[in-house]
Amino acid sequence: MNYTKQIQDIASKLFTEGKIDIFIGYQQNSFDDNQVPVLITDPAEIPKLVFSDKSVFNLTNYLKFEHTKNKRVGLVVKGCDSRSLNLLLTEKQVKRENLYVIGVCCEGVTDDNGAKAKNCEVCVMPDPVVYDEILGNPSGKKPYRVDPDVAEVAKMPLVERADYFEEIFQNCIRCNACRHSCPLCYCSKCCIDQETSTLYNGSNTVSSAVHALLTWSMHLAGRCVDCRNCEKACPSHLPLHLLHKQNEKVIFENFQEHLSGMIADDRGAFYKYNQKDPDDFIM
Amino acid sequence: METQEKEVKGSVQSAENPGLTAPADWQPVIIGILCNWCSYAGSDLTGTSRIQYPPNIRIIRVPCSSRVDPWFIIKSLQATADGVLISGCHPGDCHYIAGNYYARRRFLVIKNLLNFVGYHENRVQFSWVSAAEGAKFAQVVAKVTDDIKKLGPLHRYKKENF
Amino acid sequence: MSFSIYETDKQGLTAFYDAVAGKFETYAPVEKFGKFDYRRITKIAEGNPDSPIAATMTVKPLFFPKSSPILKFQENKEETLISNNIEGDLSSGKRVILGIRHCDARGLQVLDKVYSWDFIDTDYQKKRENTILVSTRCDKAGVNCFCTSLDYDVENSDAHDVKIVNGLNGKIYIKAVTQKGEDFLKESPVSLKLAGNDSDEEMKKQYKSFESSFRLKMNYKEINEKLQNKFDSPEFETISRNCIGCNTCAFICPTCHCFKISDEKIRDTGVRYKSYDSCNNTYFTLMAGGHNPRPVKYRRWRQRAMHKFVYYKERFGVNLCVGCGHCAISCPVNISIFEVVNKVANS
Repeated sequence: MNYTKQIQDIASKLFTEGKIDIFIGYQQNSFDDNQVPVLITDPAEIPKLVFSDKSVFNLTNYLKFEHTKNKRVGLVVKGCDSRSLNLLLTEKQVKRENLYVIGVCCEGVTDDNGAKAKNCEVCVMPDPVVYDEILGNPSGKKPYRVDPDVAEVAKMPLVERADYFEEIFQNCIRCNACRHSCPLCYCSKCCIDQETSTLYNGSNTVSSAVHALLTWSMHLAGRCVDCRNCEKACPSHLPLHLLHKQNEKVIFENFQEHLSGMIADDRGAFYKYNQKDPDDFIM
Repeated sequence: METQEKEVKGSVQSAENPGLTAPADWQPVIIGILCNWCSYAGSDLTGTSRIQYPPNIRIIRVPCSSRVDPWFIIKSLQATADGVLISGCHPGDCHYIAGNYYARRRFLVIKNLLNFVGYHENRVQFSWVSAAEGAKFAQVVAKVTDDIKKLGPLHRYKKENF
Repeated sequence: MSFSIYETDKQGLTAFYDAVAGKFETYAPVEKFGKFDYRRITKIAEGNPDSPIAATMTVKPLFFPKSSPILKFQENKEETLISNNIEGDLSSGKRVILGIRHCDARGLQVLDKVYSWDFIDTDYQKKRENTILVSTRCDKAGVNCFCTSLDYDVENSDAHDVKIVNGLNGKIYIKAVTQKGEDFLKESPVSLKLAGNDSDEEMKKQYKSFESSFRLKMNYKEINEKLQNKFDSPEFETISRNCIGCNTCAFICPTCHCFKISDEKIRDTGVRYKSYDSCNNTYFTLMAGGHNPRPVKYRRWRQRAMHKFVYYKERFGVNLCVGCGHCAISCPVNISIFEVVNKVANS
């Protein structure tokens, strides 16, 4: 999966035709083989652009900042990134006409150790769902599988599971990097950032971490596209995907196999209902 | 307090923290979040019909069961509550046409999520109670109180330093 | 004043660590979720003082906890009662921290300046007094490290009490650096052998090889001087474009010391907490009237870089950045403060 040449060509074409003001892609780290995002405004910087299986970060996260808002942006998306872009379009956070989207048919990215990333193992949509130009050959939708980590944790007895999660929440330093790196967390004032309010907990204690992370994952339930930007950003390396994948599992199994961002104009699972939704847990 | 504990025989174990116990006559605190149009009126009927129900429940009135933000539940459990009961109109009876249908989806997810991170599944319970079901409301509260008495006091993820 | 140097080998060092862990309240890097964090240990097998701790968490939380209660209040009809004698996690006993790196220890030395200025934070001072820092010198620099390029002498640093150097000849040298460390080693639960005359030479050799392994090098004096006139540099805008404003850098920085105050309440009782904050937050400088002097990202980045390399130096005479590289490692988009200051200074 190496599209460096194609992406450079497309970017230079877009700049010469004057279609975009800013291009968001990946660049190589100078000291290791990982890649980081790069925002290009000057066509002279185009040779920096690369794309390979190390292009991990979900670039749609950049669409929420003041320096990209209301600008004409070209960007590269993989399967999961395009799903989050789909949601951003549905939720009217970006204008479609301002974007030029290069969709890449993803063959799976690798993590820092060179192994296939964990979220790619359970990926449901490797092909872009929104794009102006597509690179690679689409391989089609894959069947949904329950995340193996979630299945493993769910098997633990209650007390053991509670201890396991307490350890996670203890290690949270509440930097809110998970929230800031999430492409779907675009609120300019986030509820879990409200430090001075006594409604939300401002401290960095375990109870506040529980409060913040559970509230945050509920706001992303039925919307999370499993790009795992949050986990990459977390300085404590917490397995945050457990919360999201658990919600995704419940939603998929109970609400007509809902998967977020797969089709245009499909809002999250909590924005619609079905009269036949499960009712047996309610007295 | 200490003399009381000595008099009481036996103790209740916390479901989430087996090491922590409370005296056998311990009374749980349950937060009841009721929708204004059905369940709150139903609880009113329970009172006017003079039906007895356990006094452990503290009722909060909200406009609709859909008003219940997941953090109401989390916040209650982190403060003083040992359990939460949420009650609204029967499906199809919502005063705002479809509020409880939306709420139902959220409830299923938050219930599973709380259980996943280590709360016992009976800590948070839901019911549909209409304005005419005074007797049902008493039954529901009795059942929830009974369930939570069995689970013992909640110590997991409580607010620190209070 | 010269302090004693002892020599030992790998097994001897483990025995020394084990004896320390058994005798004192000891903290060492413990692995959790693939990162290392300083945790209480009772025997050395639980932790790993030789871990790449510099790549993950700092020692700061043991002195300046991520969240500590500062007072408790209770309201009744007539008045509000305030009690500020909350214990927090203030430890009264002696603590020993093993496996700390030189940069981390220097971070504490830098923090001392701000904690003993203006308001004296007794909680912090007490923790500092009660703690013995046993520091291990790195054998090789990490890709983001640049501690040797800053305004302090890494080789003869006196930020820690005891330093441990893995000599190139296979011997391990334990050297007391302060009087506290000297006393600590004298009372050592295991008997240590005094090192031979070549120990100074060997430690120098190790430092030479360590120094040569740095990828990042700069001339601190020059950068500091150049930066002072770069307040209006357009480079800040270019650099901060990549930043996603996640605050990770400030939360794990060994020298960042900004905090926020927040109240938590249950009914009539409340607790006031002091917790970490970051200057990269939009609301960090937000005023009650709605005015925000640093509303955009590049201005917040300018504050961060200038505070680290210029303002703190002006006020306290030391550089706020210690070159540990934690921020660059944790940054999801690998922005390094080293690159930022170099680019700005040379713009």
